[in-house]
Amino acid sequence: MSAKPVLDKVRDVVNEVDFNRFRFWFQLVAFVLFVYGGYLAIDLGSKLPFFSCGYNREGRAGVCYLLPLQHQLGRPLAMLFSMASLAILTGFLTFVLWFIVLNKGWCGFVCPLGTLQDWISALRRRMGIRFSNYTQGQFAQLTKIKFVLLALMILIPLGVGGGIFSRDMSPPFCLICPARMILPMFTGDFSQFTVDFSSKTAIFMTALGISITALFLVGSFVKKRFFCFFCPMSALHYLISKPALLKLKKDGSKCTRCGDCYAVCDMEIKEIADDVKTTDIMTDDCTLCLKCVASCPESGALKATFAGIPIFVSTEAGFIKRMNKGCQHGK
Amino acid sequence: MENEIHQVIPIQPAPYSRSRQAGEAQTVLDHIVDDFEENPAAMQYFYDLFRQVYCHGDEIPHSGKLVGTTCIQAPEELIYAFGATPVRLCNGSYHYDQRGADFMPAKSCSLVKATLGMLSSDNVIPKIGKPDLVVNPSTCDQKKKSSVMIEGMGYQVYDLEFPNVKESEASRVYWRRSVREFASELRKLTGKRLTRANLKAAMAMTGRAQAAFRALHNFRRQTPSLILGKDAFLVTNAYFFDDISRWTVAVEKLNAELAERQAAGFRAVQSKAPRVVFTGSPPIFPNLKLPLLIEEAGGVVVADETCSANRMLYDMTAVDEWLLNDMVDSLADKYLKPCTCPIFTRNDDRKRRLLDLVDQFKADGVIYQAFSGCQVYEMEYRSVAEEFNKAGIPMLYIETDYSPDDQGQLSTRIEAFLESLKNRKKRRA
Ligand code: SF4
Ligand code: SF4
Ligand code: SF4
Ligand code: SF4
Ligand code: SF4
Repeated sequence: MSAKPVLDKVRDVVNEVDFNRFRFWFQLVAFVLFVYGGYLAIDLGSKLPFFSCGYNREGRAGVCYLLPLQHQLGRPLAMLFSMASLAILTGFLTFVLWFIVLNKGWCGFVCPLGTLQDWISALRRRMGIRFSNYTQGQFAQLTKIKFVLLALMILIPLGVGGGIFSRDMSPPFCLICPARMILPMFTGDFSQFTVDFSSKTAIFMTALGISITALFLVGSFVKKRFFCFFCPMSALHYLISKPALLKLKKDGSKCTRCGDCYAVCDMEIKEIADDVKTTDIMTDDCTLCLKCVASCPESGALKATFAGIPIFVSTEAGFIKRMNKGCQHGK
Repeated sequence: MENEIHQVIPIQPAPYSRSRQAGEAQTVLDHIVDDFEENPAAMQYFYDLFRQVYCHGDEIPHSGKLVGTTCIQAPEELIYAFGATPVRLCNGSYHYDQRGADFMPAKSCSLVKATLGMLSSDNVIPKIGKPDLVVNPSTCDQKKKSSVMIEGMGYQVYDLEFPNVKESEASRVYWRRSVREFASELRKLTGKRLTRANLKAAMAMTGRAQAAFRALHNFRRQTPSLILGKDAFLVTNAYFFDDISRWTVAVEKLNAELAERQAAGFRAVQSKAPRVVFTGSPPIFPNLKLPLLIEEAGGVVVADETCSANRMLYDMTAVDEWLLNDMVDSLADKYLKPCTCPIFTRNDDRKRRLLDLVDQFKADGVIYQAFSGCQVYEMEYRSVAEEFNKAGIPMLYIETDYSPDDQGQLSTRIEAFLESLKNRKKRRA
């Protein structure tokens, strides 16, 4: 057998894969790696482009970049403009290098906090409760919040460094980040679940953190990927996504605008179905989960490419297989 | 002596099979079957079916309540889920067209008139029984106005509210609600409940039918063609009234035969035969006038964009969470979003779809049928023609109706068009 038919075979197998199951296992492995990998002395550095929370001190296999970023930005201003600026720059570059590989795919496949939301959704689904949606108007408003959070996450540490804000506000996003409380719990560390009574600001920030965590749990039960919608990491991703290797591509000429992709999109992204002009179809809210590719019935309308090479393409055969399975045993 | 006997026998209505209406169907079917060579053996199922139903007037059994639909927008998965049977009422018979003329202004769409004519007659063909409910989606004006008339004929009619702008979010929300209301109407009608299990079963059934249709559709990409368009139209027309599972099995058989044909290098037409995409008003048996004229003249219809074939079966539903709510919403979206019906304000999707079909099926040209009086298709002619003009794809626009009178004139035009396609092909080669 020559190489070509073999390659075609491989391609068919990939395109017709039981995608949801594949993704479930991939996420599970990634979750275990990043939440427990530390016990195996795995350390992938502190510039990871997803929420491998630094507060999960024992289990973490690497640290979420937002933690060092906020720390670095929070240094006294004088320091910021000296040698430290170089450190910030190299840190950022390392982060970008990590990010470039999977693009927002880190969100769809790796981020423990993202995976956790998917598990909470699965729990709801198994209970037979339906998910909620935003209206188009709500969506348009809420989608901006992550950029506001990103800006605050940068400005507040600068303000702390400049002496405008109290040190108790640093690192500001970590203080309200649900991952800080939730992920350490997986290694038996409940210490983050406390209100810090040392100062008014500390009380406020830690209490806010607890409320947001509660909101996270309720929110992700009601709404798929509730938190990702507001995640400043996701905003940061989007700003630097141009050179990324993993891409979501659309061929509008093959699209019937059937809306199947939108129907399965956890992030309620309408453009994925309605936009037939843009070829680089990843939007700011996208988590590159590729569910849309798996549920597009038009061969070649949607695809994921890596460095320009198609690695997962929507096909009619794949669609029919997956939907058949849904009709038989779908949950 | 003989005369005397006749006098004592009471006058009996002539059997259906000897009526003019049956004759109309008989002529067309004979033409489809006998005037072409090497019809696929698996087509026999469909030939027999049409002969029984349209020529002999045989009854078609169905289970549960019978729900007539006047358009593809009525979600049939829901109807099946409630244990009822859908039957598409859009009709193609000239006999009924003439009968229906009483209800509509002179310049109206043959399809609408034929549907009204059929419903108003005592002897409805296909003989599937009197619908317990007629679902009339509010699409084009003529169909909308038919509702009250159908009601006047003694049917229970349900107006399924369908938006006429499909891009907006408001229309999606509105349509999803309409579909839910339709479901509760069906619940009232059948006394059954919609459950996850029965909707899943219904979707599995239509899904399998759609997969079979898509396979057939894909075989038609082959050049030279493996099967003629007249047969493909007959297959999809049968979907209107045939038992869905039986239909699916028959199509799967046909597909198996086409696979053999492909492997054997079979050609159903000459390699030079111009390949045509058919668009516009839907061909419905016995009105397969245009497809037949095209293929008699040596062309072959390789794909279509009509609601009696491709549009009815092509688009498939994706569901994320197999819970009732999500399934119903996804179904609703499937019926609205990809639809290329001309009743919508814009027709960008229709144009893109046509360009894609021409490209994918390596078509040489397009034939656009508009039933005289079907304003929406007539009005869209211009924009579609412009689009094809830009793309350098020849298109022939034909305005016609169910009457056989214009056959001669049409066949001349079609022959000339196909000839020009052939010449164009030669020049390009
Ligand atoms: S608290 Fe959140 S932002 Fe901070 S390190 Fe942990 S995951 Fe990253
Ligand atoms: S958007 Fe979601 S998946 Fe991505 S980093 Fe934020 S929490 Fe994780
Ligand atoms: S599922 Fe595919 S064909 Fe349907 S709207 Fe999305 S991209 Fe287009
Ligand atoms: S657009 Fe596609 S890849 Fe992005 S979040 Fe939606 S389903 Fe996932
Ligand atoms: S043309 Fe449109 S309105 Fe008319 S039957 Fe077809 S889909 Fe329905």
